[in-house]
Amino acid sequence: MAPVIRTEGLTKVYGEDRGIIDLSLECGKGEIFGFLGPNGSGKTTTIRTLLDLLHPSSGRAEIFGLDSRSQSRAIRARVGNLPGGFAYEKHLTGRELIQLFARLRGISDLGRAEELAQRFDVGLDQPLKQLSRGNVQKIALIQALFHSPELLILDEPTSGLDPLMQAEFIRLLEEERGRGVTVFLSSHDLDEVERICDRVAIIRSARLVAIEDVHDMHRRAMRHFVVRFDRPVELEPFAALPGVQQLELVDGRLTFSVSGTADAAVKLLAGYTLTDIEITHPSLEELFMTYYGGDHE
Amino acid sequence: MSSGAPVSPPGSARSLYAIVRHLLRLQRWAPLTWGLSLGLSCALVAAIWPSISDSISQAIASYPDAIKEAFSIEQLSSADQYLDVEMLSLIVPLALAFFAIRSVARPLVGAEENSYLDALLSVPLDRRVLAAGAMISTAILLAVILAIIWLMTWAAGLAVGAGIGLEEWTLGVVNVWPIAFAFGGFALLLCGMLHSLAAVTGVASGTLIAMYLIDLLGKLSPDVEPLRVISAYRYYGSAVQDGFDLSHALGLTAAGVLLAVAGAVLFNRRDIR
Ligand SMILES: Nc1ncnc2c1ncn2[C@@H]1O[C@H](COP(=O)(O)OP(=O)(O)OP(=O)(O)O)[C@@H](O)[C@H]1O
Ligand SMILES: [Mg+2]
Repeated sequence: MAPVIRTEGLTKVYGEDRGIIDLSLECGKGEIFGFLGPNGSGKTTTIRTLLDLLHPSSGRAEIFGLDSRSQSRAIRARVGNLPGGFAYEKHLTGRELIQLFARLRGISDLGRAEELAQRFDVGLDQPLKQLSRGNVQKIALIQALFHSPELLILDEPTSGLDPLMQAEFIRLLEEERGRGVTVFLSSHDLDEVERICDRVAIIRSARLVAIEDVHDMHRRAMRHFVVRFDRPVELEPFAALPGVQQLELVDGRLTFSVSGTADAAVKLLAGYTLTDIEITHPSLEELFMTYYGGDHE
Repeated sequence: MSSGAPVSPPGSARSLYAIVRHLLRLQRWAPLTWGLSLGLSCALVAAIWPSISDSISQAIASYPDAIKEAFSIEQLSSADQYLDVEMLSLIVPLALAFFAIRSVARPLVGAEENSYLDALLSVPLDRRVLAAGAMISTAILLAVILAIIWLMTWAAGLAVGAGIGLEEWTLGVVNVWPIAFAFGGFALLLCGMLHSLAAVTGVASGTLIAMYLIDLLGKLSPDVEPLRVISAYRYYGSAVQDGFDLSHALGLTAAGVLLAVAGAVLFNRRDIR
């Protein structure tokens, strides 16, 4: 099947500054595709180029097989877009904003917008300037979704949402995927991307580092353990764990990292009495190190 | 349930209508603030005319000829001429050209600066349609503001028996529209090239003032006189004193349209920052 999004050597430079360099990727129908990278890596630049707000310096992009530049209007009719840092005329209410966008989309039925507003628990009758940041973000989500688009392009969609709403949002994305909707979402949060996405493109300093299946990412991902015990323990059994790194025992607090499955570590720990345990995912920087083998700029 | 069937985007005319309506709504207070303040000033000028007309005529007679010509006050014997000198020769066209500059630039480069365009251009809206909407809504607002100014002044004139000439006053007011519209077009051209509201406003209003000064100096000094052709004010002239020049009015309007078209093309081609 033809990919929904395809970029070929897509490059956008801002004078001296680089935005995105030689980006080639494909995103298939019904896929939740994550676009993961630290601040300033080029996520927003990529998205704004896809939407024809920025014109590529070189390379090209296609959405639904349509050219992102010459056929942008036809593309945007079929896309729901949540811009990063969404903002619009502050004294419009959510409803007025949705009505305007509906008119410009040729849509008269606002039923889905009302439904989404209820689901996200946000009123549509307050001016944007009176809404909290999280509630503005909900309005932004509604305007991206209310016309049931085939493709959702979401730039850091969960920013400003509380954990409850984030969970609701993830449920919604799963429903959308169930209907065959394709989702392209950017994030700098590895956990979030692992939770939501099927595949992930990882970018750094304007360049694509890898495109990975989330399952493969889990497999190679590192887990950090911080453990406290009810009595002093020996280090040796832990040093024998496969793939163990950064093993340390300070004041009865054991810390170590394992890559791949954490199964062996958990089974070993099961033989002790623990007073506390914390297992965390690696930071984005640490993830990059697994791709660069520790050698990074 | 599958995702919604692809909706074909509305045609340009419908989008344009929606945008014009939206932009008029965003500026719904402009006719009041601009119309009321300029209308009040004009009404005041009309209201004091009867009490000062005699002394003015004497004062004018003593002015040097060059000054009289530069400020178009060869004669000052009626309320409409007084209104022309006091309001229509400088303040009203300057204020409304400035209004047009802001009114065109705000929904384009102003919205760009606030990231509003990232939201608005998520929909299948052609940027040229947005630019056209900015011009059309500005043109409408200019007409409404001028109508308010006309009406308030006329009413004040009637109340004090100032004897404003209906035809002169009407044409004098109508004559402001083309020059203000032309500066709206110029602002749109600048929106096609610049990325900041302050820059567009600064360059456009700087040009506005420079053109006024060139025209004024051109009337005073023969050396500067040839430069007057590049000043929009030369084509604005004075409809009250010299009659309404239709070709100049149409010329200014056409210039506004051409500048706007060029601006819309550039705005469509450039990056939205
Ligand atoms: N309008 C612009 N002019 C010049 N440089 C820009 C512009 N916009 C972005 N950049 C540069 O392009 C690079 C990529 O920025 P971009 O906004 O795409 O990053 P991002 O991945 O979205 O970051 P964040 O996570 O902070 O949103 C940065 O180095 C940034 O400084
Ligand atoms: Mg960003």
